Amino acid sequence: MIQLSNIVAKYPGGEGLELVKFTVEPGEFVYLVGPSGAGKSSVLKVIYLDIFPQSGHVIVNGYNSLTIKKKHIPYLRRKLGIIFQDFKLLPDRCVFDNVAFTLRVTGTRRHDIKRKVLRVLAEVGLSHKRNKLPLQLSGGEQQRVAIARALVNEPIVLLADEPTGNLDPESAEDIMRLLEKINAKGTAILMATHDYRLVRHHRSKIVRIEKGKTS
Amino acid sequence: MITGLLHSIAEGFRGLIRAKFSAFVSISTILLSLILIGVFVIFILNAQRLVNQIQSRLELEIFIDNSYTIEQVEELRLKIIAIDGVDSVRYISKERAAEIFRQQFGQDIFEILDENPLPSSFQVKVKPSFRSAGYAGQISKNLSKLEGVEEVFFRQDLLIILERYIRIFVAVILGIGLLLAVGSIFLVSNTIKLIIFSRSPIIEIMKLVGATRQFIRRPFLVEGIIQGLIGGSLAALFFYLILKILKLEIPGLILINQKNYPLLMMMGVLFGLIGSLLALRKFLKY
Repeated sequence: MIQLSNIVAKYPGGEGLELVKFTVEPGEFVYLVGPSGAGKSSVLKVIYLDIFPQSGHVIVNGYNSLTIKKKHIPYLRRKLGIIFQDFKLLPDRCVFDNVAFTLRVTGTRRHDIKRKVLRVLAEVGLSHKRNKLPLQLSGGEQQRVAIARALVNEPIVLLADEPTGNLDPESAEDIMRLLEKINAKGTAILMATHDYRLVRHHRSKIVRIEKGKTS
Repeated sequence: MITGLLHSIAEGFRGLIRAKFSAFVSISTILLSLILIGVFVIFILNAQRLVNQIQSRLELEIFIDNSYTIEQVEELRLKIIAIDGVDSVRYISKERAAEIFRQQFGQDIFEILDENPLPSSFQVKVKPSFRSAGYAGQISKNLSKLEGVEEVFFRQDLLIILERYIRIFVAVILGIGLLLAVGSIFLVSNTIKLIIFSRSPIIEIMKLVGATRQFIRRPFLVEGIIQGLIGGSLAALFFYLILKILKLEIPGLILINQKNYPLLMMMGVLFGLIGSLLALRKFLKY
């Protein structure tokens, strides 16, 4: 489903990805583990083609980085859900509108939007807070909104970039349980983290990355 | 498709409200530019009309050989009328010429001289499309070649000067108009740039969740169009009011008429659209 083959993607300063190769199969939960600056975020960016590899290639749900046309990248991203450490929510819109935003910008019909958003909010346990603004929520709740936004388009895989990095241990544990629940329903998850403790507690497939190389 | 379009329009208005001040500046610039361009057009139209009036009075005077008989004069008249560009020919006999002399100088020519030295002549009017110095000069040359024609006279020098000055006048005005257009396009582009920067977080999220390039760009185009439309409409309103006031004051003046209001609005929209496209090309590379 996701296949990275010998990816090299250097930044102008010389840092970046040296040689990255691994796969994510449908329904898998994969940790991408490594210290800060090892290239975890860059790997995720290569997957959603924010960065194009200088050599090697990535295949995501049939889209190949070597052959994809620029205009098709949005359609590839609709098959991915992406969440970040800093949530990236729109502070001037309520929870419902933050989640609905994904559907609105991808052209979903109005009455489908309401149904889909309410369903996914129920899934992350935030139905009752649908009218709140992000700043009226705790960190854990904000991350749940971000997860709901990532899930609402029914992606094949959820890319999570340090999703618990900004959270207290209890909220982090909540988010991990939520991700496992989502994974159990069939959505693959690729989670980048530097938190080895978390990985030990929630065992799954691990890809290690250090200085831009996977092992 | 319709949902996307409605979203773009709503976002376009939202963006304008967020960047109120710069939107106000660029709308004002579009308005001012269009008013000035409109005023220039009025100048050009009126100057052109003045030139047309002068050109419509253009007549070539052909003096006929004194020895020519009536039959020969008639023959000559037919030859003249056959020349390309000649509209009409009027015969002025020697007697009529003396009469005109008396009207102009208040004295009979026979009181000064014993005989009438004034030759008979033709006054030739030129077709409207031939009323330039170049064409009239060509007609004059062709007339001179005819047998029985002593001399052909017309104010070619005046026409040449008039045409030269009107060309300079139009070029200067078009140049200033172009500068104004470029200036307002630049300001619209700047407003859109500010809006793009202020909305970079939302643009980033749009990209991440799979919004298409067109979907992201469209609201900015809408913003540019709205700015242009408002500027253009205000300019049309300005000319409507001016027309109402000035029409009473200066009856002979050509002004922008109502048919040109949509044109003004379209020009505004064009300025806005070009401004947004420039900003998007430079600041939203996606």
